[in-house]
Amino acid sequence: MIDFELIASLLPSFGQAALRTMALVAVASSGLVLGFVINALRVLGGPAMGAGVMVWISVWRFTPFLAQLFVVYFGLPAVGLSLSPFQAAALTLALYSAAYYAEIFRGCWDAVPKGQIEAAEASGISRFSTFRSIEMPQALVMSVPLLANQTILVLKESALASIITYPELTLTTGRIVAERFVYVEPYLLLACTYWLMTLAIGAAGRRLALHIEIRRGTAQ
Amino acid sequence: MVRVPDGHPDRRAADADDVSAHGSIALATDFTLAERVAGYVPLLAHGAATTLGVSLVAIGIGFALGAALLGVSMSPGPFALRRRAVALYVSFFRGTPLLVQLLMLFYLPSAAGVDLPPPIAALLALGCNSAAFQCEILRAGLAAVPRGQVEAAAVFGLPARKIFKHIQLPQIAVAVWPALVSEAIDVLKGSAIVSVIAVTDLARTGRQIVAGNFRPLEVYVMVALIYLLLSLVVVAVGWSVRRRLTGRWAARAPRVATATTAGLLP
Repeated sequence: MIDFELIASLLPSFGQAALRTMALVAVASSGLVLGFVINALRVLGGPAMGAGVMVWISVWRFTPFLAQLFVVYFGLPAVGLSLSPFQAAALTLALYSAAYYAEIFRGCWDAVPKGQIEAAEASGISRFSTFRSIEMPQALVMSVPLLANQTILVLKESALASIITYPELTLTTGRIVAERFVYVEPYLLLACTYWLMTLAIGAAGRRLALHIEIRRGTAQ
Repeated sequence: MVRVPDGHPDRRAADADDVSAHGSIALATDFTLAERVAGYVPLLAHGAATTLGVSLVAIGIGFALGAALLGVSMSPGPFALRRRAVALYVSFFRGTPLLVQLLMLFYLPSAAGVDLPPPIAALLALGCNSAAFQCEILRAGLAAVPRGQVEAAAVFGLPARKIFKHIQLPQIAVAVWPALVSEAIDVLKGSAIVSVIAVTDLARTGRQIVAGNFRPLEVYVMVALIYLLLSLVVVAVGWSVRRRLTGRWAARAPRVATATTAGLLP
């Protein structure tokens, strides 16, 4: 029923497309750094800064990634900023995921007991030193599994880059389907490729979390 | 029938047809921005109604199917076969992009000779996807009720149905509500991709307007703002319902993490 020779013949173009998907996800993962910076602004800035950050995060979290992609790819050329499909997809994905990464960091920062921060303040430790040496080491450890989870969401959203014609996995499959008029094998291969990639990221995240726990001697 | 996805060169002919539907909107250059926006509003409102309708039905399908999956996975059977089958379902739908699931549901049946109409394929894809997430949310909610309470009620001779209605359900409802609201927003946002298979939702209405007047920036910003508004309405409704839930049952029930923070896949 399933034509395995056909699947074998599709593998080279799928491999290339998978590399493009990975490149997109890799560049878009810079959203992690941006999310960290956004959270740092929230923690270290004043109340006005905190409110501004929350509005920024909400706008990116409560609108569809597809709509954001359309604004950036189709809309920005009207104000003189023309981006290639890859640039537009990577930039939008980075900004979109940055909001989610920032929310993860916010949750982990909030989980650090308030008493520690008050104690640090009472001991005359500067706010920045408290952030760097007291909150950050604890919060980052907590965030590892959640960051891996979010990276899986980035990988899944990257499929939408096909709609603005970046030839990653999903668009490559669409083209194969349109050229060869075969449906079942390309789509099964496509789904399995994404599935394997998400399982791999999940496993890597769990490993990293376990590794950190062992290093800190808190593994059970 | 050969189906041609959006974004493919072959699709442009179909898009040209769409233009005729809204081609007259604010094509003239002497309209001000405010006048043009006023012209978009009725069309986008129509698209937003479709988006809202599709999302609501998909959330309903997702809840029913998610609850059914949870029931199946908890029922006894040889080799934990049912539990494993549900785990596989959940892993697949959480581990592959929604767009890929939608395209598979759209194209694979047509390869087998069954053409699903686009709205049906859209509802099925969104519903089956959400079912995987809602199944896990409900599972966590069920686990949030201490076993001792159920055992104690059984010892007092309360029938299983009453135990569920009076002891488990109130606590589960409070525990899962925030996660369900978050999932509803994910479905609402995810529904934008059904525009790819020619369902005229909010996102597709935006594309049609742009195809007619070549003003992508203002149209897509408006589309995004309407999605933002819809999401905020869901958040607000979620808050007010949660207040009522906690008010009625006055429970400080444990909260279930939202879908995005519920831990690693699968």
